[in-house]
Amino acid sequence: MKRELLAAFCLLLLVLALYPLQGTGYGVRFMLQLFMWITLAQSWNLISGLTGYVSFGHIAFFGIGAYTAGILIVKLGWPWLLASLAGGVGAMVLALVIGWPCLRLKGPYFAIAMLGLNEVLRVAVSYFEGLTGGGSGLSLPALYAAVPIYYAMGLVALAVTVLAYIIVTSRFGLRLMTIREDEVAAEAMGIDTFRYKLYAFLLSAVGPGIVGGLAARDQSYIEPISVFPLIMTITMIVMVLFGGKGTIWGPVLGAVLLFTLQEMIWARFIYLHQLLFGAIIVAVVLLMPRGILGVLQQKYNLPRTI
Amino acid sequence: MLGQVVISGLLAGALYAMVALGLGLIFGVMRVLNVSHGPLLMLGAYTTFWLFQRFGLNPYLSLLVSMPLLFLVGMALQRLFVRRVVDAPELSSLLLTFGISIALVNVAQFAFTADLRSVEYLTGSFVWGPFAFSKSRVIACVFAILITTGAFLFLQKTRLGKAVRAVSQSREVAQVCGINVGRIHMIAFGIGTALAAAGGSLVAVMVAIQPEMGQVYTFKSFLVIVLGGAGNYPGALVGGLLLGLIEQVSSLFLTTQVNEAVAYVLLVLVLLVRPTGLLKGRAS
Repeated sequence: MKRELLAAFCLLLLVLALYPLQGTGYGVRFMLQLFMWITLAQSWNLISGLTGYVSFGHIAFFGIGAYTAGILIVKLGWPWLLASLAGGVGAMVLALVIGWPCLRLKGPYFAIAMLGLNEVLRVAVSYFEGLTGGGSGLSLPALYAAVPIYYAMGLVALAVTVLAYIIVTSRFGLRLMTIREDEVAAEAMGIDTFRYKLYAFLLSAVGPGIVGGLAARDQSYIEPISVFPLIMTITMIVMVLFGGKGTIWGPVLGAVLLFTLQEMIWARFIYLHQLLFGAIIVAVVLLMPRGILGVLQQKYNLPRTI
Repeated sequence: MLGQVVISGLLAGALYAMVALGLGLIFGVMRVLNVSHGPLLMLGAYTTFWLFQRFGLNPYLSLLVSMPLLFLVGMALQRLFVRRVVDAPELSSLLLTFGISIALVNVAQFAFTADLRSVEYLTGSFVWGPFAFSKSRVIACVFAILITTGAFLFLQKTRLGKAVRAVSQSREVAQVCGINVGRIHMIAFGIGTALAAAGGSLVAVMVAIQPEMGQVYTFKSFLVIVLGGAGNYPGALVGGLLLGLIEQVSSLFLTTQVNEAVAYVLLVLVLLVRPTGLLKGRAS
């Protein structure tokens, strides 16, 4: 069974790798955005799904990645791939600076602090006009690179998912989940909870940072409101919740389903888009807080490493 | 100059305190951070606007309609949705109320359009010595003080108010004493929403009314209850006045755009330095 699943997964990767040869321009763009959402959802899952600390401003890392990469490309002429990786490093540095003090906060206070920090960053980016272009945004030199960006996004999504697998099956992952279930007990067992929370937070920032840079390159234009929106944080959270919080494939499943739904259906109801999204959030929270995989896991006694 | 700023700050602060008291009441009783507090305030503002537009009703009299109306809306929201996440981890209630929040804004956009509306009722200023204050702000402050005092009297003096405080101190013990906790939760959510609606009706005279006007009050109310200490009701008053003062004073030195961030920076700083609030609040 396990071998068949692995074979199917490799086949899927092969199909995805060959897709740009056949796909339409729209199809490639659709897929690369899907990869972006998988990365965002999976990264949020690493910190919040495993440790239970709700990062309510996780898009800040995406935004900082986008601006780091954008500035490096525009001001210093770096190649976009390198600049995006630098975006990942920038996001990690930010995570260190934020996480060091904020991960000591508990419960809703951590969530509010992250929410506030995201807003602070948005205003700060608008303020330093010389570097960031301020409220009028930053335009990157024109470049058509949808296919290379497709591969880069795909690799990041794959890497973050593999990372999630490695973490969940390791002692490190067990420690994180112990923190989620009972932090005091975890401390009593001798786990240095703060250190492991910080590691998880740093790892959860890299992916969004890199895809932020790639998205900036893909869209060729970034502005503060387009890369720090609260609604994107909420979207990634809902994806994870929908698929199954704390599982490996849940965030992937949630991202695929919700993003496809968004593209196929909501685009036709522009005026009621937010109402529908609100209804979906309420429905997911009330009806299936464990998510699709969470429910299946419980019902069929599936392993934790699903 | 400074005197003018201080008084403006206190005028704005009284309003913040009232709105935040509503959020603080809900948080204190249910441990639910209601992200839809601001959009509910927006509904209060629209209630005042339509009553003024259609029937020419005095905006301050419309408090008598907007508060009971939103009280019922709040009770209904609690009964239908929020009740189910009271005991869940904070992620559920944050997401749920966020979902309600965007749905409300969208419904308002659909029903009332995104046009900027205004209630042109009271213009001009009171001039007192070297100071001048817009009439609408002074009157809003007076009403905010009256309503806040009323809410406190209710909490301190009435049996129901005592039950609300008892539930926020310890749900189990309150239940053992024969208090119907579910009912108190519903009433507390209703009162919290009514306080937001009062804020909406009062700001309707001062600022442009539009579907997205509310969110900023959600954040400011978060800040106020963090400043004052979550679960500490008098703390909300101190926090509100403090926020009003800080915003006005910092506006002397900073551009409008940066001033917007002051509240958030403060929020994060206070959380880090004194997560239990400046006054002694209840730790999580």
